[in-house]
Amino acid sequence: MAEDDIREDGNNQERGGFARRYTPKPRFCQFCSEKTLEIDYKNTALLRRYTTEEGKIRPRRQTGTCAKHQRTVAREIKRARHIALLPFTGGTWEEKVR
Amino acid sequence: MHNYELVFIVHPDLDEEAINQALDKIKDWITKSGGSVVSVDNWGKKHLSYEIQKQNEGVYYFFKASMPTTAVAELERNLTILEPVMRHLIVAK
Repeated sequence: MAEDDIREDGNNQERGGFARRYTPKPRFCQFCSEKTLEIDYKNTALLRRYTTEEGKIRPRRQTGTCAKHQRTVAREIKRARHIALLPFTGGTWEEKVR
Repeated sequence: MHNYELVFIVHPDLDEEAINQALDKIKDWITKSGGSVVSVDNWGKKHLSYEIQKQNEGVYYFFKASMPTTAVAELERNLTILEPVMRHLIVAK
């Protein structure tokens, strides 16, 4: 399913149709290939890679995460936000002060 | 009985005594409801990602506890009322 989508997008780009902002070539889900890696709200270093600089959750088309793991990533990011380990918006607090 | 993780942020300006009092209260609530505290971890004073109650810092505490399901709602309610606790999160694990 997901693969079909990429091919379609690629074709559209060649035809001059709408183009996605960014499509990296190697697409694989980090959590599917590393089964032992647990997605957890406490692991902010990992979750930070799945958020943009503004603190938004990065879409699947950028990170290559599969649908199942994207759901857990999103859930854990929201938990981390609630307990102020991750920002809802903007950079980190230190950046704002400077 | 299920296993839960409880994270909460305590106000940074409190002295140790007040923090310990709050911790004892929370442990008491858990044990009285028929559960048990498995482990207590202090993450120390951390910068918050955003302001909570006009504070930029908070003292994080991490509990692992096993509680009956009925006790969780009660604990949740108690934590929101407990003044030194600025924010809490209970997650089933």
